[in-house]
Amino acid sequence: MKNALVVNNLSLSVPSAKGRVTVVDDVSFDIPAGKKIGLVGESGSGKSLTAYSLMRLIKDPVQIDKGEIFLGEKEILGMSMKDFRHMRGNDISMIYQDPMSALNPIMRIGAQIIESIRLHSDLDHGQARRLAIEHLASVGIPEPDRRIDSYPFEMSGGMLQRVVIAIALSGEPKVLIADEATTALDVTTQDRVLTLIDKLAAERGLSVLLITHDLGVAAQFSDDIMVMYAGKLVEKGSVNQIFSHPVHPYTKALLDSRCDYTIDVTKPINSIAGQPPRLDNRPDGCVFSPRCEHVQPRCREGVPPLISVQDRLAACFRAEELFHVEMVK
Amino acid sequence: MKFKSRFSFSGFLILLILGVSLAAPILSPYDPNAIAVGEPFAGPSGKHWFGTDDLGRDLLSRILYGGRITILIAISATAIALIIGTLWGLTAGVRRGWIDEFLMRTADATMAIPQILFALVSISAVGASVISLPIVVGILLSPTTARMARSAVVTELASDYVVAATASGIKRSRLIISEVMPNIAPQLLVQLSINAAAAVMLEATLSFIGLGIQPPNASWGTLMLQGYAKIWNTYWFVFFPAAAVTITILAFNAYGERIRVSMDSRRSSI
Amino acid sequence: MGKFLLRRATSSLIVLSMSVVLVFMSIRILPGDPVLAKLGAATEVTPAALKALREEAGLNRPLLVQLFSWINRALNGDLGVSYFSQFPVTRLVAERIPVTLELTFFIILIAVVFSLILAPLSTLKPGSIVDRVIGYFTSLGLSIPGFVIGIIFILIFSLQLQWLPSRGYVPLSQSVGDNLRLMILPSITGGLTATPYLVRYLRASMLEIKQSPFVRTAEGKGLSNWRILFRHILPNSLVPTLTMLGLIVGYTLSGVVVIEYMFGLPGIGSLAIESSFKRDYVVIQGVALTIISFFILTTFLFDVLCGLVDPRLRLTKEQKSEV
Repeated sequence: MKNALVVNNLSLSVPSAKGRVTVVDDVSFDIPAGKKIGLVGESGSGKSLTAYSLMRLIKDPVQIDKGEIFLGEKEILGMSMKDFRHMRGNDISMIYQDPMSALNPIMRIGAQIIESIRLHSDLDHGQARRLAIEHLASVGIPEPDRRIDSYPFEMSGGMLQRVVIAIALSGEPKVLIADEATTALDVTTQDRVLTLIDKLAAERGLSVLLITHDLGVAAQFSDDIMVMYAGKLVEKGSVNQIFSHPVHPYTKALLDSRCDYTIDVTKPINSIAGQPPRLDNRPDGCVFSPRCEHVQPRCREGVPPLISVQDRLAACFRAEELFHVEMVK
Repeated sequence: MKFKSRFSFSGFLILLILGVSLAAPILSPYDPNAIAVGEPFAGPSGKHWFGTDDLGRDLLSRILYGGRITILIAISATAIALIIGTLWGLTAGVRRGWIDEFLMRTADATMAIPQILFALVSISAVGASVISLPIVVGILLSPTTARMARSAVVTELASDYVVAATASGIKRSRLIISEVMPNIAPQLLVQLSINAAAAVMLEATLSFIGLGIQPPNASWGTLMLQGYAKIWNTYWFVFFPAAAVTITILAFNAYGERIRVSMDSRRSSI
Repeated sequence: MGKFLLRRATSSLIVLSMSVVLVFMSIRILPGDPVLAKLGAATEVTPAALKALREEAGLNRPLLVQLFSWINRALNGDLGVSYFSQFPVTRLVAERIPVTLELTFFIILIAVVFSLILAPLSTLKPGSIVDRVIGYFTSLGLSIPGFVIGIIFILIFSLQLQWLPSRGYVPLSQSVGDNLRLMILPSITGGLTATPYLVRYLRASMLEIKQSPFVRTAEGKGLSNWRILFRHILPNSLVPTLTMLGLIVGYTLSGVVVIEYMFGLPGIGSLAIESSFKRDYVVIQGVALTIISFFILTTFLFDVLCGLVDPRLRLTKEQKSEV
């Protein structure tokens, strides 16, 4: 199958008192055309920075140290910004974290959609406005012909996120990134917005990168899941593989620590012992080794590569072994 | 990483200006008020580095002595503004409530009064002297100082350590003197530097409109007024005092800015 | 909007009345007897005659009563009579204020135009050579006294090039061309004094807005840097800058005193300076009152303008919808 997006060996760093520290470390993955990939990790794991790299929205002081990103056939990191700008919105587009701040507060939402439509087409203002109303209708905004003249502060968070989605889709992109698109919304709204994204992506055959800290959300709305920890991709597999028998100790710990409302509330929630490493104090060897219950001396010496284990990818020396332990259980 | 050390060009410049003003009697080649030590309106030369004025007085000597007056007025005005402003702001920030409201509205109202007009009225009433000028300038600078002091104190009082210390029963007045004051000192130092710059500017402006130290003594502002009056004869006369004033203000402003930046970076690195 | 206006107007009125009291008090506290001043220093008066004159002027009444009668008269357009010329202060101020207002208008115009060019230029690429050069000029501009800038311009344009006159005034009604020619140097002098404050504020505000998530959204759409700058960043930074501009207009109104004086423009600033030499306090008091009123009025108007530009203040939040 053709890949809509390929990321090779992407590394990002930020400056600190001790020199530049790596925040995204040699990350490689691809998104096959029409597939939905979930990228899961705790805050600070580097998942959002990975997403911004795909849009080339990385700003000082964060810096891309190396890597290649192919969008379709084109490598985008080596491109001039001027050339890449024409791909934004058109080839790749993004839905942002907090809809309340993702829109210009003193510009009508219509103007913000029209601006994007006109940038990517030859429509005149009237045509673009009619199209914007259609877009608003398609993202489920009631009375779109009236709503188009609203200011962001006049709308609720859920409605605003729909507007952000409409903007993201207005350039008819092929790849859509949703970066914690529903974290700022309340639970019931979250589900509706995610269902909407899912439906629109299916209708348009979009390739989606769904970034979330919530394994449940990822499981519900993606085909494959990637797990990120401290800037490293630690496991990648189908939803079923990740959920029923994870092989990386971090994925397993993450699954165990989920608070599932359906299970016995008297049972304590398992939390992962310790803290993620400080940016400027990354451990030698495997980044998860200080918190890992299966740690061995070799884990502290060498960095485990992301290799194929039982039909999925995992970055753990003991992955094969732990898989069998899990299966026996 | 930016180069950061205790040495700064602006700080050095301030010390230099202060030093030169103090040493004016030693450094001055001539008596500043002695007339006809050279040709009138002579340009800069080996004998008169900055040239001479309309009465043939040596301009270098006059600027060196003028600096003494300008700097003296600026320093005393800054001290007055610091005392009034800090007390004003501290009271407002510590007492809060209607006292705060009243004091800060008064500050707003004072700032709405045009500085120059206030100075015009008060100085024309009492006459310009090395006593009246610093008082007037000091009063004019105190409301901004009060606002700064108040906001610094309010921020400081809301910080965790003060809340904790208050909860543990330490007396408020002791807390303010031993803990809060040292913490707002850097901000006061910034304000001090900005105030010094503003004081030099105000003194120059007042002298320029004729409300400065009266002849034969002259501050830099007075010299500029004299030079401006003779601008059709020579422009050296107005150039040197103007340069002295500008460099001095620049140095104080730059120094204040420098402390502010290093203060901010220290805070953000914590 | 109504509520916002009311709150803003109330606080303006409070500040205004407090400054009025301060003006009244400051003239009273100062040494120098208004009656003696009125008579002139040369006149010999008997203590009895002095007392009678004082009573006539109402100076023996309680201070508070004097204050209220003074305010009452001021509200009716009576700011007293000049000790020196015996003209009503209101008339003197009214004759001179057009000059001051015209000058202030040009100064603000120049400052706004310069700032709208310089601030966006310096934020386009922070830390670039352009930004640094603008930064140096801003720092320098904040440190040069306004009249020194004026002297430099007179040296260059009047003395050396002899392009522009350095002093004088022709009313607009007499000759528009001559009026404007005489206004050029004072306006640029004042404009350059006000510009650094505005550039610095606008630049800081733009840099802050540049960090906002919505600017990232705009970038993500594929918009060009210029479009983002002028369509998204600048309008959003103008909202807080308008308040600042109001303050600058106010400070300019009082700052033009020196400019009027050095360029020989017969505005209320020159009136105040001339009066101070004659110790004609009633006139200075009238000028101060006029400038303070304008100051508070402009800051108020600019805040209202700010509300008109910002839809969050302009519109009430009645039509908020829920999903």
